[in-house]
Amino acid sequence: MSGSKKDYSIFEDDIDIRKFDLKLIWRLTHWIAPYRKQMLIALGLVLLAASAAVLAPVVVSRVVVDGILLPASGTPAPDFGQKALTLWLHKVTGLQPLVAACGLYAVWILLWALFGHGFRIALASAVLRGLRDLRRDLFEHLEHLPSSFYDRVAVGRVMTRLTNDIETLFELLAGFGVLLGEFVPFFIAITIMLALNPALTFELLAILPLAAIATVIFRMVSGTVYRLIRSSMSRLNENLQENLSGIEVVQLYGREELNYETYSAINKENRDQENRAIKIESYYGPSMDSMAFIAIATIIWFGGHNVLSGTATLGSIILFAQFADMLFRPIVAMGDQWNVVFRAMASCERIFQALDWDEALKIPENPVPLPADLKGEVSFQHLDFAYVAGSPILKDVSFTIAPGEKVAIVGPTGSGKTSLIRLLCRFYDVAPQSILIDGIDIMDIAPGDIRRRIGVVLQDFHIFSGSVYDNIALGNPTITRADAERAAQLVHADGFISTLPQGYETQLIERGRNLSHGQRQLLAFARVLAMNPDILILDEATASVDTETELVIQDALKKVTAGRTSIIIAHRLQTIREADRIVVLTQGKIREIGSHEELMALGGTYKTLYELQVQDVTSM
Amino acid sequence: MDTARPPDSAQTHTKTRSKHPLWRLVPLIQRNGRRFWGGMALINTGRLLEAFMPLCLKMGIDRMAAGDTRLAFPALAILGLMVLRYFSFNFGRRFVREVGVEVAFEMRQRLYWHLELMGPKFFAGFTTGDLMARAINDITLIRQMVGLGTRLLFVLGFSGIIAFIFMLNQSASLTLLLLPALPFIAIFGFVLANRIFTQSTIVQQGFSDLSAQVQENLNGIRTIQTHVQEAHEIRRLNDTSSRYASDYYRLMFSNSALNAGMLAITGFTTLLIVGFGGAQVIAGTISVGTFTAFIFYLGMMLSPVKEGGVMVTLFQRGGSAAARIFEILDHEPEIRDADDAAPLDTIGGSIKMRGLSYRHVGRGKEREGGWPALSDITLDIKPGEMIAVLGRVGSGKSTLLRLMVRLLDPAPGTIFLDGRDIRMLPLAQVRSQVTLVPQDPFLFATRLGHNISYDNPERAIEEVWEAAQSADLETTIRRFPERLETQVGERGVTLSGGQKQRASLARGLIRETPVLLLDDCFSSVDTETEEFILSRLKTLRAGRTTIMVSHRVSTARHAGRIIVLDQGRIAEMGTHQELLQRNGLYAALERAQGQREALTQTLEKSGAIEAEDAS
Repeated sequence: MSGSKKDYSIFEDDIDIRKFDLKLIWRLTHWIAPYRKQMLIALGLVLLAASAAVLAPVVVSRVVVDGILLPASGTPAPDFGQKALTLWLHKVTGLQPLVAACGLYAVWILLWALFGHGFRIALASAVLRGLRDLRRDLFEHLEHLPSSFYDRVAVGRVMTRLTNDIETLFELLAGFGVLLGEFVPFFIAITIMLALNPALTFELLAILPLAAIATVIFRMVSGTVYRLIRSSMSRLNENLQENLSGIEVVQLYGREELNYETYSAINKENRDQENRAIKIESYYGPSMDSMAFIAIATIIWFGGHNVLSGTATLGSIILFAQFADMLFRPIVAMGDQWNVVFRAMASCERIFQALDWDEALKIPENPVPLPADLKGEVSFQHLDFAYVAGSPILKDVSFTIAPGEKVAIVGPTGSGKTSLIRLLCRFYDVAPQSILIDGIDIMDIAPGDIRRRIGVVLQDFHIFSGSVYDNIALGNPTITRADAERAAQLVHADGFISTLPQGYETQLIERGRNLSHGQRQLLAFARVLAMNPDILILDEATASVDTETELVIQDALKKVTAGRTSIIIAHRLQTIREADRIVVLTQGKIREIGSHEELMALGGTYKTLYELQVQDVTSM
Repeated sequence: MDTARPPDSAQTHTKTRSKHPLWRLVPLIQRNGRRFWGGMALINTGRLLEAFMPLCLKMGIDRMAAGDTRLAFPALAILGLMVLRYFSFNFGRRFVREVGVEVAFEMRQRLYWHLELMGPKFFAGFTTGDLMARAINDITLIRQMVGLGTRLLFVLGFSGIIAFIFMLNQSASLTLLLLPALPFIAIFGFVLANRIFTQSTIVQQGFSDLSAQVQENLNGIRTIQTHVQEAHEIRRLNDTSSRYASDYYRLMFSNSALNAGMLAITGFTTLLIVGFGGAQVIAGTISVGTFTAFIFYLGMMLSPVKEGGVMVTLFQRGGSAAARIFEILDHEPEIRDADDAAPLDTIGGSIKMRGLSYRHVGRGKEREGGWPALSDITLDIKPGEMIAVLGRVGSGKSTLLRLMVRLLDPAPGTIFLDGRDIRMLPLAQVRSQVTLVPQDPFLFATRLGHNISYDNPERAIEEVWEAAQSADLETTIRRFPERLETQVGERGVTLSGGQKQRASLARGLIRETPVLLLDDCFSSVDTETEEFILSRLKTLRAGRTTIMVSHRVSTARHAGRIIVLDQGRIAEMGTHQELLQRNGLYAALERAQGQREALTQTLEKSGAIEAEDAS
């Protein structure tokens, strides 16, 4: 039921994950799994690409240098079949050995490029589709969360989970591909180097911890600065946003200079932090590509003596020099991905938070379908309701609306009028047998079935971007253009629609801001009539609609309620008098109920009210 | 420049509008010219130092091949080069990036101050979201272009030249072999880079479409659920999301193809060196060392080319970002001090209007014509009067008030404050002497007390309490545990509409200005509270001018004089009684509203009685 103890505040919290939690990321495999074929292909291709990438320099150094240019030098060392392949090419094609070696080299380069490309696009395809599915699942989940959820949680907090957070995951998974693309060649190169010259390989690997330590120190030092930058950046943006939203107040109250000073102070703070981060990065970045130089110096010194002593070939030394760069790239790449991983974990947390939110309406297992020809009898039986346990909104509300009857509900703000309507539309769960439509408990009917038959003009209706027609039909394919026009005529909306540049095809901007409030309301009205509901509910919004529009709406109201079960929340005496029955609701309880005559005879609140107004009118 | 002083507003819109936006960034870079060019020089020195490395390698290899044991020199020379190169790059990159940060800093400062001066016409054309996006994303793009793009540009040129010279020095014939490959690399790189730029624009657009759709959907979730359109909406989002994924895939494909293509081209160029260089080694014209050095030079020349795509993208994006920022900076403030404006010593609070008319600017095509909001208003208000302005929606009430504080600019010689045309007064004086409490009670996300003393944070706490009391907000504030320190807005307490309105009112009352304008400030306040505030206001504002706009007759009753506006003209003017007797528009409004108010009041009272019965 309502008032369940859920902690909605988790949607407001800033999530900043500092501990590595693989479980969060592991859960993503659920969405990647359907595309495991692509993932396997990608994995295969990255192995092939890396092998080709490593074999190309082997051809240059071992075949060309050792075999062709300096055939006498060095001892026999592994060449991974490259010499044999060159020889074979030479025999088959009759090309000179040097040309044959070049041909082989060309093949490896081409395969490296092709397989590498294949790997990247296979990975992108799997990841993009997996995340698209994740977005679909999350959206589907959010779309079905009940009103009680959206009552509490700001839309902005939910929205970013579908957009920015999923985007961060893409960065993570793409970064994973980058790592794979660096690590695989690294391991293959190490294998080849070990086979060629284990001693020199170990000497080179000794430099690795240096790079690793530099990276770790860099991460530690820069982590704090990055956090500070994020914080000053968001303060900067908040300040600007507020200043823009309240620009009128700012200007009216002469705060321009003071606000500018505050902003400048944050801006300066941010600049100084950025410069600190740059300083740290400038120490780190060039130190990483210096590693390759150290490696080459090592190779010349140690490797050179190996060559002179005949334990290594010159070609293998050249090969080592070519690999020097490759050795440090995984560490650099890991450093680069570090921040992404932590940001992605926070994003995962937010996404799963929303996805795991199990708030739902009670949906009947075997819903009773509403009859095709609904009579339209609505009955409230001892209905109690509270949004938050302990502060009841409706208390023991009982009354029945006969088919075709028109009932007006009057009551002050907060008396529970709107809640009554939202319950009838099945936006919340109610106790069994407390609301019945044609004698069927609404808890036994599928919520969608109810909403398809009840047309309700809410106070907080929404106009979507799209054409006027789209806004009347709202995606329902059975509502034709003619239906929409008829509905618009019924509420006198056709007048203003025909003055729009493209009539029914005029594009409205979000929230219909290019229409007046009254026009928007007429459109919302037409939208409900177009679905030709069996039961009509109007939550009369009167806040700032001018009198003329109000009169137009009143006129339309009379036409469409004829012969239809209608519930109208009204403030105007005229509308109220025209109702078959009047329900006076205060503080969640029915105070009086009956026809105008009955209530006048009763001599209660309604009578006082009526007389006050009549007196007011006749005194003029 | 480190001053927090607002930049001279004349400086923010230069007269160089016809120039390409990138050129307009040059002066900003030049302000830090020494650091920028120093950094560039250091980076290129680093590149030059790098060019000596293959020479050392060559020496080492040739010595190895010759059986020469003097290997310490090349090895140590490489380490020495490494150290020098490290510092060149470290400081060079740092300096250039710092200039990028400095430019971004400066742009933010200018943009912010410029926005502070903009008027309602400007803000009607640019939404907050749009301006925020420019301030955040576009400035970041400019920073990246200045801090990284320029470096890549110079390195691309310089490295190519250095590598070329060094190669030429080693073997002219081999170097010339490379020349035919260069145009291919350039053409391929630039074609793909352009394509990537177009595709990434599509992807960015796709992402904002996706965000817009999600946002709109969630904002209208009630309507969607009411009309059982969930399935339709899910389908629609899936379409957008799938389109986005496939656009993104195309972008990734091009990116990857650029990578692969560059790899293949550079690979084949290396092939030429291996083939012809190898032949020359066999022929004995070059050494194995030279051969190896050549392969390294090639890498050095081609590695910046591989980043050419990144560079082009940085410049293209940076350019359009700069254009978007300058578009804002080029808007001149609509409302500014006249050249010969001079302040008055004291303001008494008399207001005179002479034939005041105002036309709203139309949107889009009808921008030229607009529609009239006020026509020919002539009015005299004596100091100390309390005036109510009444009328239907769209009758021009708010416009009238906004003209009096120059949120909208009246025509010269139409509004006079103490006998002086308000256009001849400094804007700062008008706004410090005439307080408008706007219709929308906007509160800042800060402490409640700060919101009330917004015009001057230095105000004594007693003043704040007094203003709160006058706006009937005191009891509300006392109920909050942190009183005036209570944080309002998203991260603090959410105030009700009525509470916000009263806080906004307190913010206006605290200024005690000679003229106070209230734009429909009681719409969310119940009638009883309104009565209380208005009666206090009468004593509080005695001797000072107060003008209240309202659509409630109950508010108007309190005023000494009531002005009824209809379609931008003064339809009726007089006291409550006079206007009722006239039986015109005011009387009609009184009747229509009387009904609704009576109904609400009666119900509220009956509710209250019941609540008492129950307790």
